[in-house]
Amino acid sequence: MVTTAETPDLSVRVGALTLKNPVIAASGTFGYGLEFFPFYDISRLGALVVKGISVEPTRGNPPRRIVETPAGMLNAIGLQNIGLRRFKDSIVPALEKSKAVYVVNVYGRTEEEYEVVARGLSELSSLAAIEVNASCPNVKEGGIAFGSTPEGLFNLTRRVRAISEKPLWVKLSPNVTDIGVMAKAAEDAGADAITLINTLRGMAVDPRSRRPLLANVTGGLSGPAIRPVALRMVWEACKAVKIPVIGIGGIQSAEDAMEFILVGAAAVQVGTANLRNPNACVDIINGISGFMEREGIMNLDEYRGTLLL
Amino acid sequence: MPHRMPRIMTGKILRNEKRGVFYRTEVSVPERVPFMPGQFAMVSGWNGNDPLLPRPLGIFRSEGDLTAGIIEFVYKVVGRGTALLSGLRQDDLLSITLPLGNGFSLDDAGRIWWLVGGGVGLSTVFPAATYLAGEDFHMFLGARSHDQHPPREWIPGWDTPERITLCTDDGMLGYNGTVGAAIRERLEVLSSSDKERLTILACGPKGMLKDLAETALPLGIPMQASLENHMACGFGVCWGCATEIRASGGAEYLRVCKEGPVFNAGEVLW
Ligand SMILES: Cc1cc2nc3c(=O)[nH]c(=O)nc-3n(C[C@H](O)[C@H](O)[C@H](O)COP(=O)(O)OP(=O)(O)OC[C@H]3O[C@@H](n4cnc5c(N)ncnc54)[C@H](O)[C@@H]3O)c2cc1C
Ligand SMILES: Cc1cc2nc3c(=O)[nH]c(=O)nc-3n(C[C@H](O)[C@H](O)[C@H](O)COP(=O)(O)O)c2cc1C
Ligand code: FES
Repeated sequence: MVTTAETPDLSVRVGALTLKNPVIAASGTFGYGLEFFPFYDISRLGALVVKGISVEPTRGNPPRRIVETPAGMLNAIGLQNIGLRRFKDSIVPALEKSKAVYVVNVYGRTEEEYEVVARGLSELSSLAAIEVNASCPNVKEGGIAFGSTPEGLFNLTRRVRAISEKPLWVKLSPNVTDIGVMAKAAEDAGADAITLINTLRGMAVDPRSRRPLLANVTGGLSGPAIRPVALRMVWEACKAVKIPVIGIGGIQSAEDAMEFILVGAAAVQVGTANLRNPNACVDIINGISGFMEREGIMNLDEYRGTLLL
Repeated sequence: MPHRMPRIMTGKILRNEKRGVFYRTEVSVPERVPFMPGQFAMVSGWNGNDPLLPRPLGIFRSEGDLTAGIIEFVYKVVGRGTALLSGLRQDDLLSITLPLGNGFSLDDAGRIWWLVGGGVGLSTVFPAATYLAGEDFHMFLGARSHDQHPPREWIPGWDTPERITLCTDDGMLGYNGTVGAAIRERLEVLSSSDKERLTILACGPKGMLKDLAETALPLGIPMQASLENHMACGFGVCWGCATEIRASGGAEYLRVCKEGPVFNAGEVLW
């Protein structure tokens, strides 16, 4: 990319992929991408990650699915989605037309289901990467079993790796004791990048009615409340592996995003911020550019991982 | 289909008025926002991360032209977000995304419309009454007690009181009982030809909506119900607001913010 002396270069490399900027919309908070057409041109994003896709359409959890918490929210959507076939038939053509760089988040109830979705997606020449959701806390069988032990994660990653030539991102659950060990397991199994963190398991109850607020009882915590935990885990993961780490968790502003890059993240994903402000990702992209100009940072490589200890 | 594509606007408070249990907030926005009654906005009027999420509020009124617009909201204070909104003053700023969702279908000529608002449900029922001004409509407004009714001058058509039935659970104003009971009484004296032309539109607590649906649907009276559900985004991306709707071969979860908030009451699994 050609840049003049005044304009900072926001482009980043995530393995073999080059993204025009480090801001990626996170899975589950960006729908299928098309919902953002009224607000901005989604090709301005570094990339976007589509909602978790399963082999068959998934019904999702009964309501109530959302609870606001201090500086955060709990969700128990239960991975409601239209399934692989409808995604390919009705969504992919519009994504292709938008020229956006898109990644698909994949989940299955079994390793075989992950393979089926990954195989079906790999046929899409326009698809930039596959993100394996090895970590959703809101579905009984879904993900978590694979994401909670290094062996489970290694096996799942290896099986999807064997099926697909596409860049493979593995999304880690924070609900583990040692994130470095998990990151290493994914790297050893052939992942091209690691994305973290998914939501933290949480719960909300009504002390008067004595009932849980979510029909699913527990849910995933996201938003600014989890940012310090996410930052620490991204820092640890960056130290544990050589492959790129994509940082996620509570990012609301350009400065939040720069914190993750400072501790070593190749790029960031923005989740809950999209829900409160549909323009969040573009605001953050513009903000990063402004931050770099003010701080005299010409490109993100010179800033990444320069935490002074 | 949504009436218009949603957009994000910065609004500036013109007036924030308290009347009884209701707040009425008038906001200036950069341009007029056309809307269908029942459509809503996601509104926040605070900085920082706590509260995190904007609040869904029905669009009560919208006027203006391409260079300046006015939006109004009517709400009750029930928690932190609405309390913060109620404390805003002239010139304070709001972030507003609108218009969202699908409103009532009101363009069916020659119908008799019964508009039913429970509590703050009047915020969507009043604009529907304004929209239907030249049509044959009757409005039922329910409140727990007489002091929970809105000020008279807010009620569209108050100058033709025969079109309005106030219902009060404590019996101290208007009809003594629920809107459901008032409607059942009125249905008994309605001619069968009028019944065939009748459509019910309702917004209010779930119990009220369910009661009305159980009255209207067996009689073959079409009913459109505006639902409320907890929301995060309000524009269809998180699937947090899902409600169960009948579909071929069972039921599926649809989004109150996108496919709703107004649903055909016969399709809602109450
Ligand atoms: C489509 C739609 C239109 C609405 N229109 C109006 C209106 O015109 N006037 C009005 O007074 N109220 C309206 N409501 C309800 C209004 O959104 C809630 O009263 C408000 O969100 C409460 O926020 P709070 O912070 O004061 O309450 P809190 O209880 O502190 O809120 C906590 C969380 O729960 C959510 N929440 C609480 N009550 C409700 C509810 N009844 N419905 C949905 N979410 C809720 C809040 O948004 C927030 O995320 C509408 C709701 C929906 C879904
Ligand atoms: C409503 C909602 C739905 C989500 N759905 C998914 C999903 O389908 N797959 C996934 O890997 N992560 C999902 N996530 C997790 C986010 O992608 C992200 O990892 C997490 O929310 C932390 O980032 P944030 O604080 O910026 O939101 C979801 C999060 C939210 C709030
Ligand atoms: S509130 Fe997010 S989809 Fe309806």
